[in-house]
Amino acid sequence: MISAATIPGARFVDPKVLARIGNLELVCRSVVDGFINGLHRTNVFGASVDFAEHRGYVPGDDIRRVDWRLFARTDRFYIKEYEADSNANFSVLLDVSTSMGFGSAGVTKLEYAKLLAGCLTYLVHRQRDRVGLVAFADDIVEHVPPSAKHMETVLHVLDRLRPSTQGGLRAPLQKVAEHFGRRGMLVLISDFYEEPDAIMEAVGPLRFRGHDLVLFHLLDPAELEFPYDDASAFEDLESGEQIPIVPQALRDEYRRMIRAHVDALAQRCTASRIDYTLLDTSKPLDHALFSYLSVRERLMKVR
Amino acid sequence: MSFLTPLFLAGLAAIAVPVIIHLIQKERKQVVAFPSLMFLRKIPYQSVQRRRIRNWPLLLLRLAALALIVLAFARPFLRRESLAAAAAGGAREVVILLDRSYSLGYGDRWERAIAAAKDAVNGLGPVDRASVVLFDTGAEVALRSTGDKARLTAVLEAAAPGAAATRYGPALKLAGSLLAESGLPNRDVLLVSDFQRLGWQGGDGVRLPEGVVVTPVAVGDAEVVNASVMPVVLHRTAFSGQERVAVTAGALNHAARPARVTLTLEVDGRTIENRPLTLEPRTAGTVSFTPFTPASAFTRGTVRLSEDLLARDNAFHFVVSPRERLKVLIVERPGGSRAASLYLAQALALSETPPFEVVRKTMDTVAPGEIDAAAVIVLNDVPVSQAAAERLGAFVRQGGGLFVAFGERGAWPAAVGDVMPVTAGATADRTRGSAGRLGALEYAHPVFEGFRAPRSGDFSAARFYNYRAVTVAPDAQILARYDDGAPALVERRVGQGRVMAWTSTLDVAWNDLALKPVFLPFIHRVATTLAAYTQQPASVKVGDVLPVPSGSFVVTPSGERLAQVDTGALELREQGFYEIRAGGGAGEVRTVASNVDLAESDLTAMEPGDVAAGATGRAGGATAAGPAAVLTDAERERTQRVWWYLLFAGLVLLAVEPVAANAVRTRYV
Repeated sequence: MISAATIPGARFVDPKVLARIGNLELVCRSVVDGFINGLHRTNVFGASVDFAEHRGYVPGDDIRRVDWRLFARTDRFYIKEYEADSNANFSVLLDVSTSMGFGSAGVTKLEYAKLLAGCLTYLVHRQRDRVGLVAFADDIVEHVPPSAKHMETVLHVLDRLRPSTQGGLRAPLQKVAEHFGRRGMLVLISDFYEEPDAIMEAVGPLRFRGHDLVLFHLLDPAELEFPYDDASAFEDLESGEQIPIVPQALRDEYRRMIRAHVDALAQRCTASRIDYTLLDTSKPLDHALFSYLSVRERLMKVR
Repeated sequence: MSFLTPLFLAGLAAIAVPVIIHLIQKERKQVVAFPSLMFLRKIPYQSVQRRRIRNWPLLLLRLAALALIVLAFARPFLRRESLAAAAAGGAREVVILLDRSYSLGYGDRWERAIAAAKDAVNGLGPVDRASVVLFDTGAEVALRSTGDKARLTAVLEAAAPGAAATRYGPALKLAGSLLAESGLPNRDVLLVSDFQRLGWQGGDGVRLPEGVVVTPVAVGDAEVVNASVMPVVLHRTAFSGQERVAVTAGALNHAARPARVTLTLEVDGRTIENRPLTLEPRTAGTVSFTPFTPASAFTRGTVRLSEDLLARDNAFHFVVSPRERLKVLIVERPGGSRAASLYLAQALALSETPPFEVVRKTMDTVAPGEIDAAAVIVLNDVPVSQAAAERLGAFVRQGGGLFVAFGERGAWPAAVGDVMPVTAGATADRTRGSAGRLGALEYAHPVFEGFRAPRSGDFSAARFYNYRAVTVAPDAQILARYDDGAPALVERRVGQGRVMAWTSTLDVAWNDLALKPVFLPFIHRVATTLAAYTQQPASVKVGDVLPVPSGSFVVTPSGERLAQVDTGALELREQGFYEIRAGGGAGEVRTVASNVDLAESDLTAMEPGDVAAGATGRAGGATAAGPAAVLTDAERERTQRVWWYLLFAGLVLLAVEPVAANAVRTRYV
């Protein structure tokens, strides 16, 4: 993990502060501005209309790209360079099950996930990619098809999302896989309360269809550390089931199990060439983004 | 062992609370929402049921703490110690305060009060001493510190309820001073009363000496049925040239149930009229009797209410006299304008309390008898001959009032200078420039007293164009001055009467005071002051002090003749009509109606302990101990010290409880 102190010029904003800002676009812009690298490299070159600069002709250049008007004025050959542009599909798959409504650090996992999804969408939209959104619980709740014009729609839908029902990965992701015919980049944001094997089985169809898959595993600090003291009845947010718990007795065991769960997920994702990032909702969002992008860039150089 | 406050033992029921909580509380009701129990479900946990069984030592600890605290509040004490302490107690000084206000006349309260006082006397030990203090609004030592039970009993039997209201303050102060004089180790006050609420004004500054025990003995009744008559209102009307007096009387029902009463008007002992009246609970009602004509001065009237258990408040006495007209003789200048006295005569004619009888004459037509018959003589700008001046001087010395207005022609012979407060000089002319105003007034004087308050009359509005410059006699008092400092109104006391000199006219020739609103009350005040008129009240209250001429004979309502009241003041102690004969019985006879304080007829009782606590400054000032069990404070404290240890032990257990509870919980986790 890269700390704030090691990143020159980075300024990280507390998620609680971001959650209080009503305008999601403003939040996304303020978080994303300053990131130099995008999420992915474009695979199409030069097919753009945005002029960037002139450069001197060198043998081998396509003579169709010579600026003849400039040649008429200067009697020299110049090549017109355009901004590289891409039109990749980018969709956020956002888990809105009831468990995502949990938050002990002032911001719920869903709020954090919405900010994260908004920031990624904004970042990608800046690269002129198509952006879309799928919100799901045990079934698909909201669906915004990827489009270059859907930036506002995505942000608007994100803003409206509330924790809905009990969650499940397999059924909704199966539908998503069937729906997305064109290859693209899919970001899955969830708390992944399923067995690692079941998760990998659920995301498998997406991966098989050639999508570039990124998993963001959101966990609240209370879920990671289990800081409870008083013996209480613990209620499952999704099923409503209650179990009397003496936290002091279970804390170490719980921490060990959640750590094992995260490790298992990370290991299986790496094996399947899926990007996996664990995000703690108490940590600044831009910090999380930054560290993820740094790691991804480094990995891409390797791949 | 016994308990001081055994009712607190009912608190032992509280020890059932932890038991019930232990039985019904299977688990903590606190619910923590958690995203998923996926991992927690896999970890085995201790069941609550097993934990509950293991908590029995903790439960017993809690039960013991509660039981100890409840026992401490029940104040256990050891009888054995108390008996020993009583034997070694020593002599007592007891002050028996016996309430003799008229409310004790209700039912058999007085008999019960006497019985309680006698019990206390009989309970005195061989070395004990007692005083008897009878009190109502005041307090009186009937018998001072003695061990003679026969004398104490005789004093109690001779006492009777009076006509005054209850006040505890003076009685307790007197008891405090009696006990302060005593050298005996134990000092008690026995307060026998019906404990009327209005008798205790929250302390009254009473503080008994340290160590005094006040034992209240309440002789009041749980439910009282009483109605009282209310003060009458007299309304005078003129009918066929005669003055008639309409009496409006009322009755107040203090009981919690309706009452049907009859109000009777008696005049000079004869029943005039009966009026029935139905009174709702705790309400008042009024009736108006047919007007009657008072035949003579000091006609005695009484409004009576039908009999009930408290007789004193069933009669209201009053005295009514035909309204006396004050004769005012206005002496005018022969041949002068009639308008000169027009405003003065009109102002006097408008007065009702008292009405004035105005006679206007010229100096040469005034008969000597007319001067003597007048209460006030007004010389309205007339020159006075020496013979007339001497006659007027004699009139004033005998108590008459003389008002002299110095206009242009007013003059007083210098030879009779010991009567007139001023010597009139030249006329001051203020017609040019600003007119004169009345500047400084002597508001302390009866003439101007009524104008003292703000917005009670503006004398400075009147303009004075001319007035006589005067030289003031050394023993005269200047009551009003003009704005330039010249005297406007000067008074001199001559013999038993007064002379006032007014240095301007009483018409509108030299000033416009007669046109101002203050003129009418000013003239009324001057006339009543000069006539030394005082309005007699229809009735006064028992306990009031009346000024009476020294050497008067007084006949009380009970028929007792008090010869030669030398102090110049008479305290009214009885209810009814007092007859006061001035001048050793040969002079004028005056009748005064005396009534009980009707506030006393409200028999609402207060908590007896409040008086005791207020007087001793501690809540335990009132104890239920009888005359036999008398202990000092230190001995009492010793016998009851057990509660302190119990409370301490209970608190220690309570302090240990959280530690034990935490230890138990950690172990079972």
